[in-house]
Amino acid sequence: MEIQFKLVDFLLVSPAVALFIFSCIPLLIKVLRGNVEQNSFATLIWGYMGIIIAAGLTVATMGSNRTAFEGALVFDGLSGFTGLVLLFVAAVSLTFARDSESTNDKQFTENMFLMLNCVVGMLTMAWANDLIVVFVGLELFSLCLYMMIALSLEQRTSKEAAFKYFILGSFASALMLYGISFIYGTVGSTYLPDMISAAPNLLATNRLFLFGFVLLLVGVCFKVAIFPFHAWAPDVYQGSPTPLTSFMATAVKAVSLAFFLRLVASQAFSVERFWPFVDVLQWLAVLTILVGNVGAFRQKSLKRMMAYSSIAHSGYVLIGLIAAGIGGASMLGAGGVMFYIFSYSIMTIGAFGVLHLLETRADSDLTFEDLRGLGRDKPWLALAMTILLLSLTGIPPTLGFWGKFFIFSAAVKQGLVWLAIWGVVGSIISVYYYLRPIVAMYMEEPTAGRYTFELRPLSYFAVLFLALLTMAFGLASEPVYQAVLASVSKVF
Amino acid sequence: MLLTTLIFLPVVFALVVAALPEEKWVRPVSFVLSLGHFAATCLLFWRFNPASSALQLVEKHAWVPTFGVNYFVGIDGISFWLVILSAFLTPLAVLGSWTAIEKKVRAFHICLFLLLSATMGTFLAVDAILFYAFFEASLIPMYLMIGVWGGSRRLYATMKFFIYTMAGSLFMLLAIIALIFMTQEQMGQMSASVLDFYNLDVPFVAGDFLNTQTLLFFAFSLAFAIKVPMFPVHTWLPDAHVEAPTPGSVILAAVMLKMGTYGFMRFVLPIFPEASEYFAWFFMLLGVVGIVYGALVAMVQPDIKKLVAYSSVSHMGYVMLGLFAMNLYGTTGGYYQMLNHGISTGALFLLVGMIYERTHTRQISEYGGLAKAAPIYTIAFLIVTFSSIAVPLTNGFIGEFLILLGTFEANRWFAGVAVLGVILGAVYMLWAVKRIFFGPRGKALGHYEEESLDINGREIAVLIPLVILIFWMGLFPSDFLNWSKASLDNLVQNRTHYELKLEE
Repeated sequence: MEIQFKLVDFLLVSPAVALFIFSCIPLLIKVLRGNVEQNSFATLIWGYMGIIIAAGLTVATMGSNRTAFEGALVFDGLSGFTGLVLLFVAAVSLTFARDSESTNDKQFTENMFLMLNCVVGMLTMAWANDLIVVFVGLELFSLCLYMMIALSLEQRTSKEAAFKYFILGSFASALMLYGISFIYGTVGSTYLPDMISAAPNLLATNRLFLFGFVLLLVGVCFKVAIFPFHAWAPDVYQGSPTPLTSFMATAVKAVSLAFFLRLVASQAFSVERFWPFVDVLQWLAVLTILVGNVGAFRQKSLKRMMAYSSIAHSGYVLIGLIAAGIGGASMLGAGGVMFYIFSYSIMTIGAFGVLHLLETRADSDLTFEDLRGLGRDKPWLALAMTILLLSLTGIPPTLGFWGKFFIFSAAVKQGLVWLAIWGVVGSIISVYYYLRPIVAMYMEEPTAGRYTFELRPLSYFAVLFLALLTMAFGLASEPVYQAVLASVSKVF
Repeated sequence: MLLTTLIFLPVVFALVVAALPEEKWVRPVSFVLSLGHFAATCLLFWRFNPASSALQLVEKHAWVPTFGVNYFVGIDGISFWLVILSAFLTPLAVLGSWTAIEKKVRAFHICLFLLLSATMGTFLAVDAILFYAFFEASLIPMYLMIGVWGGSRRLYATMKFFIYTMAGSLFMLLAIIALIFMTQEQMGQMSASVLDFYNLDVPFVAGDFLNTQTLLFFAFSLAFAIKVPMFPVHTWLPDAHVEAPTPGSVILAAVMLKMGTYGFMRFVLPIFPEASEYFAWFFMLLGVVGIVYGALVAMVQPDIKKLVAYSSVSHMGYVMLGLFAMNLYGTTGGYYQMLNHGISTGALFLLVGMIYERTHTRQISEYGGLAKAAPIYTIAFLIVTFSSIAVPLTNGFIGEFLILLGTFEANRWFAGVAVLGVILGAVYMLWAVKRIFFGPRGKALGHYEEESLDINGREIAVLIPLVILIFWMGLFPSDFLNWSKASLDNLVQNRTHYELKLEE
């Protein structure tokens, strides 16, 4: 078989190429200067340039609906939108990483290199139109993440987190690969479109395909921390340096959920044979919401609390995914999921950013008590945190409210009212723990002279900007929702 | 543009207050600004046409057109007085808290203005999602008010307040979503406008709980019943009231509780007419239980503020009783009692706050003989008490009389028990008055000279408008009810096929 690559293929993947080139430049400079770390700000600028150029190229190719490399990659609205979210999140996380005690040292260049290549892996997975490419992208970004976590200056928990993430992540990858092999064996191809068109038929007739498909779903569920595959998340999120936690909690979820959405588009949920698994998925959504919210309820550490809350948010998205799967032609579910990914990414990374700004040492692990007096000492930061937390709770008119509104709407529309009710119950529980930091910031007696240090300007600006976005897109959610609907329209 | 101005002017004021260079200017500037807002609200007296039951001064702009969600505001006779009441009480709250709020004065007034904006929005929104947004948004400033400026158990109280209210309203959100999809099925186009909800045919099966209309009815009712609050979901109210600072209590009692009863009038009764009628007995029963229970619990409270809080439960029970009597007397009385409760309970909280600032105790047992030490205060307190226990010539009498009249028409038994509540109301209030103002000189007054406890000019200025209103509303109720009559008639007479037209 003769494989031909056309020039247009390389143009389409140019965002990844640009990211890779710009990630190498600071590394090259460092090597040429005899392994002397250059100014971290200059490294950051190289990273920004890579991200901006990649974003520009993504926008240029967005919606072209072309495939590249013999159909292995697809550039539709879904991959373009996910790519933009990823690049945005990466830019913010990179800013945090540069300002953090635990990542900015003589190895910041390596950190930046890994972060950008992580995004290359994620972009690959977002574009992937072939199960093997999905796996390659997944492994690429996972490996980068393991290394980045282990590179942290914090000694006590980050090594454990990296190792735990590595072992469990590898396990999930293995399951997924195992599933892919069964799919290949039954479909005779690893192309996603082949699988999707064959799925309804094969699910009904072929047990081996069913087995492979379920394993594939399990692998994805692991990445987005769906109960009972969630247990790694709190430890890993808490142990990793906060800039990386913010990156993992948003980018990994965004890309995995986008892939989940592609699987859901296979009409598998309308196959009668698969219904028991849909029921199981519904229960998993309910349990994820409960486990996440009840878990967060009990935490003292803010990072751990956010980790559990992010599990709960995965549960809400799963409601949307099920609605999208059952809905068939209806785009409400898919639109809700993509909107939720967008809104969740913005508010979660912002909330982690606030925690990151308050960490003074590499091994800081903030508790609720540490937020006391923030309202007095750093009023703008406290205001930003308040907005982000209210948005995570889903109070209108913030972005988070619309995320929940679109997801619940999709569920109600598809007759999944009981899932929506569980979502509501989860949201009610979440009110308590999302409000507790606000209580600490404004209402509890501050410990004298706590927050006298200067906030790092770039991260500070980023957090304020994210809080502003949460409000602005909350007041004007329609443009985003239209963009989201346009992005999923070709897939569904 | 008038309604939008009324909603968002307070936000501008909040920014102005935030930008003031010195904190000592915050109070006077806030007072002048809130008076300005009230003056702007009074423009409604010229712009609003009381003869029409239609929705007036409408503004409509697309917000999230995919779901038929609009920025859609308008005013009719039902929202009219609630809007005026909110605007009227804010300057009084500012003036009344002149010395009560000592720390973070600027932030407090920002909260007050944001709360005013949210309450205005809640009463003026005609789009369900917009209503929900304002309804929820109003929680945040109140949450902060209780939590930052409240008493010793403020954290518990404010958390409870927030979670209770949020719990109810999230189910309402689901119900709103369901109604939006119903408009799509029945009218071919998604719409979150309440006017379209009125035209929906929501399927109802009597005797079966799990049918669409009943479920939606209870989803909405739960949200509003918690807000009102009705027995047995009232337990957040005493905590929130006791811990809230005086102006917070005033706004909470006078305005925010009305969001609940207003919700019943705007959403529950007209959208779900069959279910409302079918379950009217249930809500009347809860109302009656609330009346008696609130009164009995108020009677044994050692804390004045808690007593007033439980009296609120009792009074709001009357309002619910009147609304679910579903006749003209009951509905009119319920509506009037909403305003009365705003005036009299607001005034009571102000009065309790005034004496608390001087003696720093709210325990009834530590008072006694206050009539001699503070004669003007005593007169004001007595007038408000009379209003609260519905003595003729005061506003409370008109409201409760109409409610009882309506209830008697609907169900004699409930009316009989509710009358008992009137007696109990007199018992707990007058007994408290006796213990506070008469008898031997109490411990709390020990250090004070004769009459030095009395209220000053500023506090008298706060109370005068309220006292005037108590008598004005008691003697000339038609001055007030004429503005709402057309809308209330429309609500009662066309309940089963309610329609709200837009004014041409």
